[in-house]
Amino acid sequence: MADSLPTEFDVVIVGTGLPESILAAACSRSGQRVLHVDSKSYYGGNWASFSFSGLLSWLKDYQQICIDGEESTVKWPDLIHETEEAITLRKKDETIQHMEIFCYVSQDLDDNVEEIGALQKNLSTVASSTLTEPLDSACLVKDKRSVYVTKYKMPAKDTLKSDRETSLEVNDIEETLEKENDCGDKTRVHTDGDKDEKPVEDNMDQPKRNRITYSQILKEGRRFNIDLVSKLLYSQGLLIDLLIKSNVSRYAEFKNVTRILTFWEGKVEQVPCSRADVFNSKELTMVEKRMLMKFFTFCTDFEQHPDEYEAFKQRPFSDYLKTKKLTPSLQHFVLHSIAMTSESSCTTIDGLKATKNFLQCLGWFGNTPFLFPLYGQGEISQCFCRMCAVFGGIYCLRRKVQCLVVDKESGRCNAVIDHLGQRIHAKNFIVEDSYLSEETCSSVQYKQISRAVLITDQSILKTDSDQQISVLIVPPVEPGTFAVRVTELCSSTMTCMKDTYLVHLTCSSSKTAREDLESVVKKLFTPYAEIEINKEEHSKPRLLWALYFNMRDSSGISRSSYNGLPSNVYVCSGPDCGVGNEHAVKQAETLFREIFPSEEFCPSPPNPEDIILDGNDKQPEVPGTKNVLMAEVEP
Amino acid sequence: MSMEDYDFLFKIVLIGNAGVGKTCLVRRFTQGLFPPGQGATIGVDFMIKTVEINGEKVKLQIWDTAGQERFRSITQSYYRSANALILTYDITCEESFRCLPEWLREIEQYASNKVITVLVGNKIDLAERREVSQQRAEEFSEAQDMYYLETSAKESDNVEKLFLDLACRLISEARQNTLVNNVSSPLPGEGKSISYLTCCNFN
Repeated sequence: MADSLPTEFDVVIVGTGLPESILAAACSRSGQRVLHVDSKSYYGGNWASFSFSGLLSWLKDYQQICIDGEESTVKWPDLIHETEEAITLRKKDETIQHMEIFCYVSQDLDDNVEEIGALQKNLSTVASSTLTEPLDSACLVKDKRSVYVTKYKMPAKDTLKSDRETSLEVNDIEETLEKENDCGDKTRVHTDGDKDEKPVEDNMDQPKRNRITYSQILKEGRRFNIDLVSKLLYSQGLLIDLLIKSNVSRYAEFKNVTRILTFWEGKVEQVPCSRADVFNSKELTMVEKRMLMKFFTFCTDFEQHPDEYEAFKQRPFSDYLKTKKLTPSLQHFVLHSIAMTSESSCTTIDGLKATKNFLQCLGWFGNTPFLFPLYGQGEISQCFCRMCAVFGGIYCLRRKVQCLVVDKESGRCNAVIDHLGQRIHAKNFIVEDSYLSEETCSSVQYKQISRAVLITDQSILKTDSDQQISVLIVPPVEPGTFAVRVTELCSSTMTCMKDTYLVHLTCSSSKTAREDLESVVKKLFTPYAEIEINKEEHSKPRLLWALYFNMRDSSGISRSSYNGLPSNVYVCSGPDCGVGNEHAVKQAETLFREIFPSEEFCPSPPNPEDIILDGNDKQPEVPGTKNVLMAEVEP
Repeated sequence: MSMEDYDFLFKIVLIGNAGVGKTCLVRRFTQGLFPPGQGATIGVDFMIKTVEINGEKVKLQIWDTAGQERFRSITQSYYRSANALILTYDITCEESFRCLPEWLREIEQYASNKVITVLVGNKIDLAERREVSQQRAEEFSEAQDMYYLETSAKESDNVEKLFLDLACRLISEARQNTLVNNVSSPLPGEGKSISYLTCCNFN
């Protein structure tokens, strides 16, 4: 396999996160020769999604002390000319901190567990050791990052076996369904297989709860697609618009978020957010229904009635809501679950805008304003990369860029040097924040995102269907802390194995991820244990496995904060903390317009079915007529 | 594209090392051309060919790698909703055959469990330069439970047979699934494709 890359490009893009990938697609689409590289063996950077063992490899990779690998044998200083200087890039990504893993299920391995899905290539050795010694992987207390293990013995091999059989059976059905591409909802097909679906009050059904072990999670690890960053797509948001406009949407499939939940007086409840929800709600009184509908109607065109809110414009939204005759629980719904704003910081005008946006996004694809991409958020950046490649962009993962080469006279960057010592020329360079060196970023103030990833056995709010996708905002408890966004994904999102849920928690950091999020985890879940004494605890879903980590939030950093970057080097940021992807899309579009002011941003490509191919002197085909080939073949 | 145009729609995805003739196979089948103009693949996401098998119209959507295989950087999402995979190697290139296990690992990792995989040894027109014997390839494909075929995109040998046989297998598979699941209409897919959805805004 050829290792050396072509050496002349218009644009070199370093990093395959969402903004970089959108830019790559946009540049390639407008006829630029694009080289898109990533130092990792996977797409997406901090926007990636991993299988279970892939995630373990990722964790292990972060915990290893940076060694200047043999790969970088070619030293760049020898390759820099006298008229040039170099801006070195970072050798190792340092955007992830404070990783802590907790395993609550039995880690006894009853057989040789093998799972494909670990990060490939340069990580394969790491991955295989993770698979055979899961304990080891969880006990890493190398460098400063601490990792804890909670271990519960669970001698239940016989139940285990039958569980595995049923889960395999169901997977078969899932796979069958995958085969056809038509729209539809598969949840109904699943109902006969759903044994663990019971109403909340039915505590007698505990023995029927599925027993899940660590080895099962490993074995079914391929079923997981665990997002590093938990985001959703607003159905009328910028990303959906862009996906549709650019036709990149054809590479991905989505599911609607089915429920918006709220945490009110110690209980998880569903938020009525559409007209139908409001009318059907059993929790709301007639008066409340009327009040809420009136308020929603007002919000959809609040700009038309400035007199209604003028006096409150810059005052807190929560104060304004108090004047709207909404009961405390309704105020809570609107503030946290609909406007999704934390109490103190949000002005009335911003609150109204957020509420309007939420209401406008309802009903397009379903009963909530959000969509979730099947197989996880990581798919989206890959879809844009595919578009870039279709238009001639060249892709190379596992390719490190050692430095940017700057011409002293013009002050512009004219090339990069990769880890093989290859010099690659281009006119413009786009680099993701995490690749920039400490020196370049020394005056940048970064925020942090606190993340938790949980694997649980039941939904936080059980209903007839066990295939719900839910979003819950837990308001901050103390001042100075932030609201926590909880996203619960079911197995039909193709992000977790059957009979489990994948739960993502996200908030702006005030401390480490565990310190920020553990209290919310404790409110909603109970650790998985063999002996369950407390009856009341039974109603809570159980935690099988948990991971906490902090991720650097490099959004909203002004270009001028980076030291000494040439004018033709552009910086993309990593994921932000927000629920939507608006920041990434805006950034990509802004940078694209800056680099290519006269080009259109991601126009629709021609439909493959209408393309006339320039065959060798062959008469162009008339679009619409198709070669229909007749064949009689044995079925 | 309306549903009435065809009875079945299948997504077929080509994989294999760079230079083994994947694009040539697609172009030969869909357009009867060889060699395809190099620049022509820019902007072509997939090729469509509708074939008729026993009176039923089968639309084949054939996806190429867009060059991402060159530096082993194929996106996972490329494999996601494929009904069939055509794993191609070059019979005159030992290296392209040796890479097959690596490709199979990718398939296992990212493609659906029920995907049909066909192993194709291309370039039989260059038989005098053959490096991979038919027997070796047959043994390998048997061990991996794959259907195996040797083709020449240049001479158009077995190219139609490859796609038509595949279409037949996909149809019978789809029928079986319909029977198993007791659903008469086309089976529901996993998710929604957002561009085709109609709006039903409640406001």
